[in-house]
Amino acid sequence: MDYHVTYTEAELVQGLHARDQKIFSFLYDHYSPALYGVIVKVLNDHTLAVDVLQDVFLKIWRYADQYNEDKGRLFTWMLNIARNTAIDVLRSKAYKLEQKIQNITDDVHLNGGPLTVYQSVDHLGFSKVLDKLTKEQRTLIDLAYYKGCTQEEISRALDIPLGTVKTRLRNAIIQLRNILNK
Amino acid sequence: MDVQRYISSGILESYVFGLLPDAEHGEVETIVAQYPQVKAAVQELQLDRERFVQLYAMAPPAGIKDRLLDIIRKEETPEGNSLLPEELRAPAAAGTSRETPVKRINGHKSSTEKIWKYIAAAIILLFLGSVLLNFFFFSRSTDYKSRYQSLVAAKEKLDAQKESQSLTAHKELQKELDMLKDPAFKWIKLEGFGANAGQIVTVCWNPVSRAVFLIAQALPMAPVGKQYQLWVIRNKKLVDAGIFHGGAQVAQKIQAMKPAEAAEGFAITLENEGGSAQPTMDQLQLSAKVQK
Repeated sequence: MDYHVTYTEAELVQGLHARDQKIFSFLYDHYSPALYGVIVKVLNDHTLAVDVLQDVFLKIWRYADQYNEDKGRLFTWMLNIARNTAIDVLRSKAYKLEQKIQNITDDVHLNGGPLTVYQSVDHLGFSKVLDKLTKEQRTLIDLAYYKGCTQEEISRALDIPLGTVKTRLRNAIIQLRNILNK
Repeated sequence: MDVQRYISSGILESYVFGLLPDAEHGEVETIVAQYPQVKAAVQELQLDRERFVQLYAMAPPAGIKDRLLDIIRKEETPEGNSLLPEELRAPAAAGTSRETPVKRINGHKSSTEKIWKYIAAAIILLFLGSVLLNFFFFSRSTDYKSRYQSLVAAKEKLDAQKESQSLTAHKELQKELDMLKDPAFKWIKLEGFGANAGQIVTVCWNPVSRAVFLIAQALPMAPVGKQYQLWVIRNKKLVDAGIFHGGAQVAQKIQAMKPAEAAEGFAITLENEGGSAQPTMDQLQLSAKVQK
């Protein structure tokens, strides 16, 4: 009855180190939707995302001893693995910058089309948050965070000076935080 | 260090969202470890990012969890190991650090690598091109060589021909000069009459040396199967003095005939090819007497 059990952060880390399958099961149940969401957002490909998600959880399981509490929560660490693995796959697929941008333009979330069913842990409405960001801010965050573009790449792709990209990206993140913390 | 200023500089946002280049990423981690305030700010940001990411949360298809648990249970067996993604298989590549954000450098590296690849490809193409050109020019040069040699050979041949020609020409000229200079030579001009009017053959005879030559200055070519024959008139008889050619080609040529001891005159008849022992008198073309 793992479902009703909650673990503290320390217990989770300990359990992972001890290769406790119950802990692994718990982590999957609680975090797979978030990680899967990130992977899908990066790759825009559900079939591929399933494979990547599986790899990500196996990495979490195998590299648990490399987790460093000083650098952040376990979930932050897991998120980094998911994002980095997905972006590596994206790059190994030899995606061109244009394709990355194309992917974003095609993104249903940005076009305000029907949203894919997702499990939001937060009560804050998804589109409500994004509506408060300008389209440019969303594009910047997507390119940087989900497509792993460097600020130089964004500067080239959107034809905006590098300094401006830095400022606008920072403002976008700050704006995002404000919305999330309201 | 002004911690507040550092926190508000925006670098922590970039750090947490994984937007910093590797070098700066490490720098921030050092500072985070040193300043609790910075660390707290980073943790705040990380929580924000977790919440932001949750916005995109999406339930993965069912069945993955069971498959994962299955792999984990069997991971120590070869069968389980083969189910792992390549980089996780034993011997596990433990050296790859998960904390390294996306291999950012790769982006740059691959572009420089690409440039190098292009440069290498260009160099190889240039090299191949030059090899081809070498072959081309080499064969061309050997071609020139052989053509040059054949030209030289042709020139030598021509030179030799010219020399022999000039020699014979010289001989003929000398012969002509001899005839002109030798007062013993008698020149007898044979002119055509009747149907043969206009035909001229000059016979020159040396009573001392007995030599006979002729120049068919104006005599048409003999019809096919026929030949001109010169006769010496002696004691009212015609004695064969040899056959000769007519036509424009030989109009300037001195043709040597059979020697004649004595001659009262000369006559020319048209005979069957090869000449005749007796003249065919109805074929008499030209005749003239030797002036005493």
